[in-house]
Amino acid sequence: MRKTHVDIGGLTIRNPVMTASGTFGYGEEYAPYIDLRRLGAVIVKGLSLKPQPGNYPPRIIETPAGMLNAIGLENVGVERFITEKLPPLRDIDIPVIANIFGETVEDYMRVAEILSGAAGVSGLEINISCPNIKRGGIDFGTDPDLAYEVTSAVRKATHLPVIAKLTPNVTDVTVIARSVVDAGADAVSLINTLKGLSVDIATRRPHLRNITGGLSGPAVKPVALRMVWEVARSVSVPVIGLGGIMTAADALEFLIVGATAVQVGTASFIDPAATVNIVDGIDRYLEDHGIDDISDLIGSFHTN
Amino acid sequence: MKKVDTGTIRFNTQITGEYRLMGLTVPAPFQESLPGQFVMLRIPGRDVPLLGRPFSIYSRYNDHDDTVIEILYCVVGKGTELFSRMTTGEEVNLLGPLGQPFAIDPGLRHVILVAGGIGVAPLSFLAEHYGTACAGSDIDITCYFGAKNGDGLIGLDRLERICSDIRTSTDDGSAGYHGLVTDLFDREVASCTDDTMVYACGPHQMMRSLAVLMERHPCRCQVSVEERMACGFGTCLGCTVVTKTPSGETQFARACKEGPVFDIGSIVWE
Repeated sequence: MRKTHVDIGGLTIRNPVMTASGTFGYGEEYAPYIDLRRLGAVIVKGLSLKPQPGNYPPRIIETPAGMLNAIGLENVGVERFITEKLPPLRDIDIPVIANIFGETVEDYMRVAEILSGAAGVSGLEINISCPNIKRGGIDFGTDPDLAYEVTSAVRKATHLPVIAKLTPNVTDVTVIARSVVDAGADAVSLINTLKGLSVDIATRRPHLRNITGGLSGPAVKPVALRMVWEVARSVSVPVIGLGGIMTAADALEFLIVGATAVQVGTASFIDPAATVNIVDGIDRYLEDHGIDDISDLIGSFHTN
Repeated sequence: MKKVDTGTIRFNTQITGEYRLMGLTVPAPFQESLPGQFVMLRIPGRDVPLLGRPFSIYSRYNDHDDTVIEILYCVVGKGTELFSRMTTGEEVNLLGPLGQPFAIDPGLRHVILVAGGIGVAPLSFLAEHYGTACAGSDIDITCYFGAKNGDGLIGLDRLERICSDIRTSTDDGSAGYHGLVTDLFDREVASCTDDTMVYACGPHQMMRSLAVLMERHPCRCQVSVEERMACGFGTCLGCTVVTKTPSGETQFARACKEGPVFDIGSIVWE
């Protein structure tokens, strides 16, 4: 029996494939397309204390091999998530990781506390990396002291495994990674989107109402992979890799450079079954290469 | 389980100028397609363009054992340019049918269509549907159809077979009324009562003008909107439309899920 399960800060998941927050709704949207139980974990859309309407449109624009989005963390708020969105997920045998964000450290703590008391939440991912909201989010992710402060506060507010989701929009991502690990993060996930801009030359205005947006898709994969490799070498906690993973081959690259698990995002927009196809593709690779335990693959990268 | 399907191109021909018609052999579930619904089409195996493109369904029919849908499209960017070069037998990725269809009311006396350019596509399908689903009823269909020029009045022959009257307009005066289709509508339609329903699809400006006009008509009006989409099935939240509740409260809706068909009065026309 091949071993594909991995451990993320005490949470064991059956395979290393998770959904990236903000690309998988609250899970229910994908239920007509895939058997959610095939996934390692579902990470739901970022949740805040109060519902957020998100940004005014236009919110997305396609760019070469990628897309820019400025959704603005539209979400139903933590209370409605618990009463409406969580129960159907709880009925499915799948770990649910709630992505959380706020404008202040207190916001993050409060959301963490509320979710920690909700049956069916297996972990928290702290979003300190969204480039598309005016306050909070990325402000916490670009300053190592603020990153420490918010992670430490969430750590104290919950018994659940805590994953800090990092932004690539910094000079040295390993500095932030070490800071959140020192603050008690059980794992880190990276990369969130790269801040970008696209201009309509007919009107000389930005394509997005928010002016800038976050870049995702195949275009960002080499950057993401490099950052995951750097962070995996500099922290001792599990690293979850994401950024432009479209296929099992992409996911395998992340695992090889040291990611314990991966998240699939933009690919799910193109094919709602992308996550499951990646699970199957990883299985085939392990079989073809005679690897009995996925942990033998993780971090097996060599440069000489 | 629903999935990304494969559609096989039967034909992909130029109509006039940049306007083209693509016929696809599609899996049986597409027989359920209704006017106003759309499909996400994507060329397989490419990172550029990356995302699927939403297209209204122009018609749906059976040919022997095949289910066929037709897409009327205009070459406007890289995605549609690549579609235009595809040939018979090639395959596309296909997700659908998606979105809310137009409301069909067999009890109506009059149906008025207001089409702008390529916006004629879902309205032509709707007219055909009224012709078949409400066969034997005495609903008459009038179509107001505007375009930049005569070449843009695409698919007129098909509309002529179904509609009792077609009123055309062009921006350059090369065919029909010289001016905006909404001006033509306003000159000719005195008052719509509740035995009439108006359906519209076209450029934002056209639908915004129509929204103002419809405030004077005590009849229902539905529009189909076009927005950029990444997924088409409700998760990317990219295709947001600003709407208002009956009490005037602003709300965001997804063009792909709550739309693309909306009551014209429920949209905040900026």
